Amino acid sequence: MTRKQKRLSVIVAGLAFLGAATGLTFYALGQKASYFYMPADLTTASVQPGQRIRLGGLVEKGTIQRGQGATVAFSVTDMHKSVKVSYTGILPDLFREEQGVITEGAFGPDGVFVADSVLAKHDENYMPKEVADGLKAKGVWQESKSE
Amino acid sequence: MLFWVIAAILTLSASLAVLLPLASGSKGAPSAGDHDLEVYRDQLAELDRDAARGLIQPAEAEEARAEIARRILRLGNADPVAKAAGPSTATRLVATVAVLAVPLISWGFYNELGSPDLPSQPLSARLAKNPADSSVDELVARAEAHLAANPSDGRGWDVLAPVYLRLQRFSDAAAAYRNAIRLDGDSAARQAGLGEAIANAAGGIVSAEAQDAFEAALKLDPASPKASFYLAMGLAQEGRVSEATAAWQKMLGTLPQGSPWRGAVEQALAESANKAVAAGEPAKGPDAGEVDAASSMSPQDRQAMIETMVASLDEKLRQNPRNAEGWMQLVRSYVVLGKADQARDALGRGIAVFGPDSEEARKFAAFAASLGLTTTE
Amino acid sequence: MVETGHFALILAFALSLVQMLVPFYGARTGNPRMMAVGGPVAVTGFALTALSFAALATAYASSDFSVASVWENSHSLQPLIYKITGTWGNHEGSMLLWVLILTFFGALVAVFGGNLPATLRANALAVQGAIGATFFLFILTTSNPFARLNPAPIEGRDLNPILQDLGLAIHPPLLYLGYVGFSICFSFSVAALIEGRIDASWARWVRPWTLVAWMFLTGGIAMGSYWAYYELGWGGFWFWDPVENASFMPWLAGTALLHSAIVMEKRSALKIWTLLLAILTFSLSLLGTFLVRSGVLTSVHAFATDPTRGVFILCILTLFIGGSLALFALRASRLTAGGLFHPISREGALVLNNLFLTTATATVLVGTLYPLALEAITGDKISVGAPFFDLTFGPLMLPLLAIVPFGPLLAWKRGDVFAAAQRLMAAFALALAAVLVTALLVDGASVFAALGVGLAVWLVCGALTDLAVKSGAGSVAPAIMLRRFAGLPRSVFGTALAHLGLGLTLLGIVGTMSFGAEKILTVRAGETVELSGHTLRFEGLYPAQGPNYSEDRGRFALLGADGSTASEITSAKRFYPVRQMTTTESGIKTIGFSQLYLSLGDEATDGSVVVRLWWKPLVTLIWGGGLVMMAGAAMSLMDRRLRVGAPSRRRKGTSAVPSASLP
Repeated sequence: MTRKQKRLSVIVAGLAFLGAATGLTFYALGQKASYFYMPADLTTASVQPGQRIRLGGLVEKGTIQRGQGATVAFSVTDMHKSVKVSYTGILPDLFREEQGVITEGAFGPDGVFVADSVLAKHDENYMPKEVADGLKAKGVWQESKSE
Repeated sequence: MLFWVIAAILTLSASLAVLLPLASGSKGAPSAGDHDLEVYRDQLAELDRDAARGLIQPAEAEEARAEIARRILRLGNADPVAKAAGPSTATRLVATVAVLAVPLISWGFYNELGSPDLPSQPLSARLAKNPADSSVDELVARAEAHLAANPSDGRGWDVLAPVYLRLQRFSDAAAAYRNAIRLDGDSAARQAGLGEAIANAAGGIVSAEAQDAFEAALKLDPASPKASFYLAMGLAQEGRVSEATAAWQKMLGTLPQGSPWRGAVEQALAESANKAVAAGEPAKGPDAGEVDAASSMSPQDRQAMIETMVASLDEKLRQNPRNAEGWMQLVRSYVVLGKADQARDALGRGIAVFGPDSEEARKFAAFAASLGLTTTE
Repeated sequence: MVETGHFALILAFALSLVQMLVPFYGARTGNPRMMAVGGPVAVTGFALTALSFAALATAYASSDFSVASVWENSHSLQPLIYKITGTWGNHEGSMLLWVLILTFFGALVAVFGGNLPATLRANALAVQGAIGATFFLFILTTSNPFARLNPAPIEGRDLNPILQDLGLAIHPPLLYLGYVGFSICFSFSVAALIEGRIDASWARWVRPWTLVAWMFLTGGIAMGSYWAYYELGWGGFWFWDPVENASFMPWLAGTALLHSAIVMEKRSALKIWTLLLAILTFSLSLLGTFLVRSGVLTSVHAFATDPTRGVFILCILTLFIGGSLALFALRASRLTAGGLFHPISREGALVLNNLFLTTATATVLVGTLYPLALEAITGDKISVGAPFFDLTFGPLMLPLLAIVPFGPLLAWKRGDVFAAAQRLMAAFALALAAVLVTALLVDGASVFAALGVGLAVWLVCGALTDLAVKSGAGSVAPAIMLRRFAGLPRSVFGTALAHLGLGLTLLGIVGTMSFGAEKILTVRAGETVELSGHTLRFEGLYPAQGPNYSEDRGRFALLGADGSTASEITSAKRFYPVRQMTTTESGIKTIGFSQLYLSLGDEATDGSVVVRLWWKPLVTLIWGGGLVMMAGAAMSLMDRRLRVGAPSRRRKGTSAVPSASLP
């Protein structure tokens, strides 16, 4: 091989590598990214049982039930619709009634959302950003104007 | 004054940092080529070491040496001669601007942003000041510091509790009264104060807990006007208006002339006539003229007027939402008007304004619960 | 004192403007006096920023609530250490720390840069000044830490309880030293582009700065990971959270830069690429600052969300990234290419390393920014988490890790893979043995877990092989070998330590993820729990009072083989009344390299408590490996090679090359 051919083959190999990485990245984005929904969105979006999604909203008042062992059931609401969620584990410190929460998991065959993680990370208004945006879009949440 | 001296010194030294290098004679700096040569020399030496350790094959080492040597040869031709720096007009101008920029920019900006007259106020210094010069807040903080160190000083809590009450720090007041009762024992004044703190913390609602406190106060001092007044208020809030009115009437009979409670009782009586606003803080209700007008109207007209008032309150809150009392008044009004849905809606909006975790939101929720209203249905 | 700090900050801003313009003008017109302004101005600017920072720290330490940021983020009852660390536990203070470190590095260039070509030094300081000026302006106009309150409130609103931890004392300063350290590499790159030439001493200068920045960034990330691990109470050490990615991307790019700078320094090759990498690395640091500070992301790091701040940082970002890349596009063709090498050589291996690392950086960048872009364009909200990164980042990292041991064993210019492979036979055999032992002897080990352990052992043994081969193992007598070993350049130890640390970290990750155990259950006082051969007895909940919180401590006794209490573990639920926030303090017991981790949940009405228990084998190696990597970087920094490059006065003028070293 001449020097030019050698250089060319190195470049081709590099490009092939980058191409493969790009393909993998977009495949993974299609497969592994989980969409964020609020309860009212679920009526229009088709979410299959078993498909991983993130469900956000407010923890509905009076729905937290501690069951067997460390399993907890509660409902997530956006003031329009609410969804039953079951979770086994320790709820985050910031998990409270009527506060923003994001759960990640999938719907079981019985229509109950089985979460494997519950997040209550939030800003100083005690709202996860996604939930606050969603509530604003639905007109439930109003930003105070006097500040 | 000291600040201005320091600022002047700082500005001076910053300006000097610009001025001195500009004013000093230029040293003959080695040209870039000398630097490169030094690096190439070192690369050659390192090549020898690498070759000795077998990190590079002898043939390749030769090649690398030739590469470096070529770079060294190239240095001689490529090295541009540094221009002799004659002090041109442009240079002088730049130098002058640079030196002047430092004080001008800094004093200009500071003039806009700074608060030169505001001294530092470390907390310890503030607390060590002569009490006569301190604000109420500072006195309270001092008392708090004292109580944090001596939490079993019952008298301290007893002194602090009414101050909290006046400062509208109701939950702190309730805690202070509880501490005083725990440490120094029961007294009618403490129990009545506790009740008042609890009731005010809940936005004026006399809850069962507050009621217990008032009843305990009455047991210790059957003549306690505060306890009687609030217990009657509790009755009114439960909708037992006639009983409340009777209790207040009885109070008017027993209260001495000139008691500060007479005014409050009279006002409460006037308002208990108007069921729509028969709770909470009387002063925040509609003014006396409007109430009078309402009581002399036909029931339909009265209803209409109340609804107009409520609507105007609602409108006011839409424009100016950060008004906790206003929201509670609105919710209560809707409940009284029998409009549970609108009450719930108002509650939701009120909570959204302050954020679901704010103290106000909890107050709202407790208040709504006391009215028999739940947020979700 | 407060106002002195405020004034000093403004003065530092004015000086940064001078530092940006005068040395640059001097370099353009060839005026040595103007170029000389850069040094003293940079040092004075640092001194003023330090004064300003000290003033703010004093305000925090003395609870001066007339300063708005102190009032918002401090409380008089906080322990002194958290009052002080609270200085940077908020947006305003952390930005001040950022510029403090920036000016610190600028001052270092001024002080130690005497041996640099004058124009390079002047231009680099000017770029450094430009970065400083924009950030000073940002602080003064949108996030002034010295904003005052009059009358002063009597009590503050307390620091976010999650931040009331020693981690805050260490993690942000280390991370910023890393982030901002790369600004030096950036400034030198832009300076070279402005001049249109890369001096031979350029790489000698940039490499130690890269090492310093990389060392601190490694420490910062490792510390942040450990902090999240024990403070959040979820037992996880890495969440692929966008904020974590924001610090991880500069680390990956910085690692690539570290390696390409070696080629440039030793062989004058890959010049243009190294320059670009230096620009990209700092751009990613700026991007991280933007993501974290703008409020685009919600996390514990987002102290305050203020749109004007976001827009301002976005402008800074566009200015510096766009400007430097445009300059690169204009000037790159004028830079001369360097030495030649065969694809199979040390240089080739380092290029391969760069290819993998930059691609990996790109996947992390896509995974971090794609959700933001998608939301901006379509409004769909998605989250990209561990599954995405497992599928993209993982496949890129594994082959890279597998070839790491080959790199240091290949010769410069033209290498011999087979010779290197032969030398690595022993390491390979050990790795294979580790795979077999894991697969056969450890219960429930999957094929992947066994291969993971093997890969980690391969890395560790490969690093040791490198040291052994370079000391002449097998070919010389042990005494000579020992002498050779002691005489090896520090950078060889540095390389070996860094690669060894990488292996240890991998071992920790594989051990924790594959062999760990987890239980969630409710316990009552007196009950015992079994987990992976450890027996714990719950002793009960005990209330306790801290300076600014109250807590319920759950006490657990770790029982020995005979049933007696061997040691005690406590996990607590803390309540901070000022912020009305609860936090969980996890209970951790280190046993060897492994840890028993437990975290307390809610108390049920019947007196039982939810507890989550983890057995995390070898977990401490994750961060221990990071420390070893840092030690490697420190070792490399001590190499004598990095100290030369200055023309000494004595030899000046002898333009002839010493003939001894010419062929």
